[in-house]
Amino acid sequence: MTDETEELSALLARVALRDRRAFQRLYDAAAPRLFAICLRMLKDRSEAEDALQEVFVRIWHNAGRYRPERGNAMAWLNTVARNHAIDRLRSARRGALGIEVAEVVADPGPGPEASAISRSETRRIEDCMSTLMPDRAEAVRLAYLDGASYLELSERYAIPLNTLRSWLRRSLLQLRRCLTP
Amino acid sequence: MTGLTEDDIALAGEYALGALPPEERAALSRRAETDPAFAAEVAAWETALDPLNAELPPVAPPPAAWRGLEKRLFPTAERPASPWRWLAAASGLSAAVLAAVLWLGQPAPPRPEALWISDMASEDGSVRVAALYDAARGEMRVSMGGAGPGANRDFELWLLGPDGGAVSLGLLPRDGQAAMAIPEGLRGAMAAATLAITDEPEGGAPGGVATGPVIATAVLRRI
Repeated sequence: MTDETEELSALLARVALRDRRAFQRLYDAAAPRLFAICLRMLKDRSEAEDALQEVFVRIWHNAGRYRPERGNAMAWLNTVARNHAIDRLRSARRGALGIEVAEVVADPGPGPEASAISRSETRRIEDCMSTLMPDRAEAVRLAYLDGASYLELSERYAIPLNTLRSWLRRSLLQLRRCLTP
Repeated sequence: MTGLTEDDIALAGEYALGALPPEERAALSRRAETDPAFAAEVAAWETALDPLNAELPPVAPPPAAWRGLEKRLFPTAERPASPWRWLAAASGLSAAVLAAVLWLGQPAPPRPEALWISDMASEDGSVRVAALYDAARGEMRVSMGGAGPGANRDFELWLLGPDGGAVSLGLLPRDGQAAMAIPEGLRGAMAAATLAITDEPEGGAPGGVATGPVIATAVLRRI
């Protein structure tokens, strides 16, 4: 475990004990990354802010459910944010915004501390993504980062839903094989 | 083995990706709640795909987001206006019931020599700790059941304050029974207090701040 992972894991344990100071430190450490996830998926600043608050409400209530043996703390936090943003995207009241409106969010450029993930790990996923056909790698990114649904993707690539789905399944399994040491 | 089929493994991956239609997504989410092998597979996918998030440069949220969050989670109105409310919340009894119990049971102010008990168990039931707090002696007697801490680890007992802080009450014995003296200054806070056990490095949490996973929490109940 990296120092940061260990620190986040310890903060989560203290948040589970209802330690409000630890909660604030966890927010300071993780909110910029979780906000980036919400912004990228929701493409709307005020909705992303609202989503970020909801994400941290869930973190406050569910911190005790984090299991260190199942994965690192940042991945767990990112998953809480992604799941909530996806729920919002799929909720009925929201019309399809279209996945082509990416990059509405200003990009301040990654700093040296941009990511909890080690450089080698980042390179590994890039290497693995590059083993996929370019359009499939793009579809994985659109689904994972932009929250695109199978339906939206099948329209974008003009292929039947089932074909799209088996495309992505194969791509995921290929990625997992490549990523699993 | 996990008993998951190839199809289950791919489904877990699709769930982690997030692109499934809402109904199917909801169904898999329910499955993860009840099927630990499937939940572990989903977690493995979530960890495997997580490095993709490194493509997103962090963006500092506006300060208003934190203030709004604080207001949502800790509204000042919810501060314990009366000790009844706080006691009621901590003991899980309604304020009315609690007030009735206390009035009927003891016309005088609560007797300081009351006994309080707590049964704490980990989620999987492997660790069980019974605690009895004797207010007259300021002493907590604990009895360990089930699994003890791992090598080079200790279980530590915490008192959770109403304001969210955790104060260490000391290390639990590795097995058997022990009596733990409760410091004078904390005795007033023991009534209906919430206790928690964490898994810490041998010798206890460094710097008096909990670091390990929470094993169990429970409320002290009056007997």
